Amino acid sequence: MQKTKHSLLSVGFAVLSHAAVAAESGFTLETVDPDADRLALQAFYQQRFPGVPLEEYVNGIYAIDPDSRKQWDALMEFPPYEFDLEEGEELFNTPFANGQGYADCFENGGIGIRQKYPYWNREEGSVKTLEQEINECRVKNGEEPLPWKKGDLAKVSAYMAFTSRGKVFEIEIPADDSRALQAYLDGKEFFYSKRGQLNLSCANCHLKGSRIHVRADLPGPALGHPTHFPVVRSKWGEIGTLHRRYEGCYRDTRSVPLPPQADEFRKLEYFQTYMSNGLVVNGPGARK
Amino acid sequence: MKMIALTLAASLMVPVAFAQEDTFEQVFNQQRALYGKGHAFTYAGQPYTTDHPEEIEAMAEPTRANAEALITSAEAMRQESESLGYEWRDPARFLKQARTALSENEYQRAMDLAARAKYQARMSIAQYESVNASWQQAVPE
Repeated sequence: MQKTKHSLLSVGFAVLSHAAVAAESGFTLETVDPDADRLALQAFYQQRFPGVPLEEYVNGIYAIDPDSRKQWDALMEFPPYEFDLEEGEELFNTPFANGQGYADCFENGGIGIRQKYPYWNREEGSVKTLEQEINECRVKNGEEPLPWKKGDLAKVSAYMAFTSRGKVFEIEIPADDSRALQAYLDGKEFFYSKRGQLNLSCANCHLKGSRIHVRADLPGPALGHPTHFPVVRSKWGEIGTLHRRYEGCYRDTRSVPLPPQADEFRKLEYFQTYMSNGLVVNGPGARK
Repeated sequence: MKMIALTLAASLMVPVAFAQEDTFEQVFNQQRALYGKGHAFTYAGQPYTTDHPEEIEAMAEPTRANAEALITSAEAMRQESESLGYEWRDPARFLKQARTALSENEYQRAMDLAARAKYQARMSIAQYESVNASWQQAVPE
């Protein structure tokens, strides 16, 4: 009994300390604290869906809705992305016309690096995404860039994500470059800002709206959102990238959508993936 | 009996007191939601209608000049909304339809469509301003 009390107290203190740390974060370069934001987001979901382990959030809505989970488990007996994954591997290993390949453009030959994306590129002063660097690799080697939303780019990205499965996201915000923190802050503001004629923010559906019906759909939690992309979405009937989903969400608010890989979307991905630090890569995935 | 009369009088007073605390915007939006456009109501003793300013603009004489002016001012507001990164889906669509109507000499239709575009563009700019002042409230602490 004494031990139980002690454990409960420890949990209580842990929650309180998270809340205390989170309360210190703010909305300006001087006050924003990304780690406090991350802990506050985790605390929000732990309170909202008690008993769901944090590591489960890589599974999106299937972590928090048992009925959807049953359907998904059945679907995953034959994961719908398997052919895309095979094609992605083949594409990844097929040399360009100049004899070079994707492996020559990335650290560690492009294997097991997904967990480091997106990252802050000091030289360019911008957030770089994996898909962006896949296309840059192609252009550097005399190839045409691939369309951003689906097809071969998504397949190559899916294969690269697969080689990182189980690795923990470790997005960094360099302390000695305030532009990186500003990019994070911009992404945070974007996530929480209402847009479009329907006056909806990302947070409306994916924070408080998680597992609340929007017509027949149940929005997933924001925590763990980027871990499983690219995904085969049943609605799409094919594999697509995170920015394809961003564009769709944006359009759903009745805004004029931004294009994939727009500066705003890359910052949003930076913020969202930082929020998922500590969770593992489990892409590619399958979603409704 | 006196107590009942007093209670009744007080309960009748309450809605009036609340109504006086509502802002004009709240009352306008409530009346608009209840009755649609063209409905007359009073606020602080003054008569108003539930028409948006853009709808009132569209009530001008349907001429080519008036239609062109409304399309031009709507397009300017749409561009401002776009520059803020808050452009909604429909204003550009309505403006395209308004220009088509203008080219077919359907001036009233052109003005009505331009008014809708201008209203939505104005609302998107108001959204931008509102979001800038309040997005922080949505962040969990």
